[in-house]
Amino acid sequence: MNKSMSNLSSAKSFSATDSTNKSPTASTSGQALVKVSNLHKSYSPTIQVLKGLDLTMAAGERLVVIGPSGGGKSTLLRVMMGLEQIDSGSITFAGQPYITANDGKAKTKINLAVRQQIGMVFQHYTLFPHLTILQNLTLAPRKVRGESKASAEARGMALLTRFGLAAKAGAYPNQLSGGQKQRVAIARALMLDPKLMLFDEVTSALDPELVAEVEQVIMSLAEQGMPMMIVTHDMWFAKNIASRVVFCAGGVVVEEGPPDQIFNAPKHERTREFLDRVFHI
Amino acid sequence: MSYSFDFTGLEQGYDSLLEGLKVTVELTLAANLIGVTLGFVVALLVMSRISLIRTPVMLFIEFFRCTPAIIQIVWFFYCVPIMFDVYLDSVTMGVLALGLNLTAFNAEAYRAAIQSVPKEQHDAGIALGLSPFQRVIYIVLPHALRSALPVLITNGIGIFQQTALVAIVAIQDLMYQGKSLATTTYRPIETFTLIAVIYFAVSFPVAQLVQLIERRREVASR
Amino acid sequence: MTYDFAVVLGYWEALLQGLEVTVELTLLCAALGSALGFVTSLARVSPVRFLRWISTLYVEFFRGTPVLIQLFWFFFCLPIILGSDISNFIAATVTLTLYTGAITSETFRASLKSIRPEEIDACIALGLPRLTQITNIVLPQALLRAIPTLLSNFVSLFKESALVSAVGMADLMFVGQNISSNIAKPVEVLTVVAVIYFVVAFPLTRAVTVIERKMLAKLAI
Repeated sequence: MNKSMSNLSSAKSFSATDSTNKSPTASTSGQALVKVSNLHKSYSPTIQVLKGLDLTMAAGERLVVIGPSGGGKSTLLRVMMGLEQIDSGSITFAGQPYITANDGKAKTKINLAVRQQIGMVFQHYTLFPHLTILQNLTLAPRKVRGESKASAEARGMALLTRFGLAAKAGAYPNQLSGGQKQRVAIARALMLDPKLMLFDEVTSALDPELVAEVEQVIMSLAEQGMPMMIVTHDMWFAKNIASRVVFCAGGVVVEEGPPDQIFNAPKHERTREFLDRVFHI
Repeated sequence: MSYSFDFTGLEQGYDSLLEGLKVTVELTLAANLIGVTLGFVVALLVMSRISLIRTPVMLFIEFFRCTPAIIQIVWFFYCVPIMFDVYLDSVTMGVLALGLNLTAFNAEAYRAAIQSVPKEQHDAGIALGLSPFQRVIYIVLPHALRSALPVLITNGIGIFQQTALVAIVAIQDLMYQGKSLATTTYRPIETFTLIAVIYFAVSFPVAQLVQLIERRREVASR
Repeated sequence: MTYDFAVVLGYWEALLQGLEVTVELTLLCAALGSALGFVTSLARVSPVRFLRWISTLYVEFFRGTPVLIQLFWFFFCLPIILGSDISNFIAATVTLTLYTGAITSETFRASLKSIRPEEIDACIALGLPRLTQITNIVLPQALLRAIPTLLSNFVSLFKESALVSAVGMADLMFVGQNISSNIAKPVEVLTVVAVIYFVVAFPLTRAVTVIERKMLAKLAI
């Protein structure tokens, strides 16, 4: 089984960074884009989701986070987007402090200027149903940056054209297929020129035949060197797009490394168990 | 505001108010008995495949839902005796008018509930060899009753409030007693406030019950 | 027993005038009441405890008591409190506006709650300021979603407005009852009055269903 996976992964190579000769620790030595330190997060005293998670991501990397449900993958991405409070720990972005836990009752401190440089696409459809596709794209640039309507619309149309969705500019989200909705959601996030994209299981709500069109869009972004952090259950996609794979379970990073190593020669027993379960369908 | 409240004059009227409340509650219970049972039958009829049955029943429902309750009550009082040459006592007449009004509203609640019974349940009933009648009694009715319950109770308190309208045709309910007390004591503010509080004291807990049921359902369906 | 419905035709002008009063009162109270209802729905989710408390009390009390007693209260008590006479039109408008405010506030509250939390996540991810989230995402959707239920609230108001006849306001119900007792033909007159109410209300309830379906389709995701 693992053999066939390796064939798939070699089918495509990326220009952005060469992941194969980069060890996980090597990525921390350069300019780190994201540095997550000792992250703790609980939803209630009894439900601890992140238990001291550490993670470093270099600029130009495409990190794929895999692991069992409830292992903290999606929570990590939500914290990264500034959607969740944390208990302790910190995240820096391009050397700047981004998210810091405040001791005591005060809320988590989020550097909003940094947050604006991060874009996210969710598992559930989050297009605004009362706005047209183009309006969905232009709302944030106009309201957040004060961009003119004409300029935002021109950029929006260019993006839609690139994604093959120009004909849908005036349509409402309910007139689109699931795959189209997720592609628009990606375009909407790109309108703000993010320095990092977060993809949280963006294809898991889709019908199987619609998955590929969304994954292709993400692939094309990868080819252009967009740094991204991806949570996915699609191991084929994980192997193809990752420059580094992070196996996350029990609220910590259990193992990380290049896709070849994680999928073909995992070092940890838990990683092996997880992959065995995933591939023995 | 310089008005000073004085509830002392009302004491003489407590007995009559209690009598009135009794009539109001009786009207409510009797109308609900009609509404809950007849409502289900009407719901089944309006879903009938035979248009000769469906159309008049639909007209009945829509007519009661789309006209003011007060005209239904007045109509019953003045027209039924003339048209059918029957002279029923006024409380019975009130119960009939309110009961049929509630029947129309409850029929809609039942219809929505029946339509929410998953198709698989019908299929399972057929697969188990139940007759159409058995399927209605053992599968559809329990399911529909359960899912219609919050609306049935809400409609039930709605009718409790609508009973106040029968005061207009001189049935001696709480509203009627209150109005006469207000006139005899010259204390309308105290009297009407007291009456309103009594109505509220009955409907509010029931409305809370409905919310409780709905909240528990929400949790259960999660 | 034969009925002579033609006799009602002779009074069509009076009935029409009554209908006009009913419709005007309904429209006025629908406008004032839904504005009040909207403000009330916001007060009910306000962080200020006092606002939540007072708005809840108002809504529960007006939903928990018969409209007839509300009407009598304002008709008989307001003049005493104000120390001056008020017309039955004022009493009717105040009562039906407060009644509509109470029921529509529940409509608005439900529609505000129906905004999916995922969309708020998306707003944050896009960095939309709080004010933009409210004015561009929450409010437009809440108002759109409220439309069908609001319309059916207005139909209820239209029907409840018949109560103002009890304080002598010359609406359709009042005019109908007057004619009915004057010419001693209750079956014909009252039936016609009921049919007039039906003819106005029924198409509106159908419209509610149609709009609801359209709205659900439009705002579906």
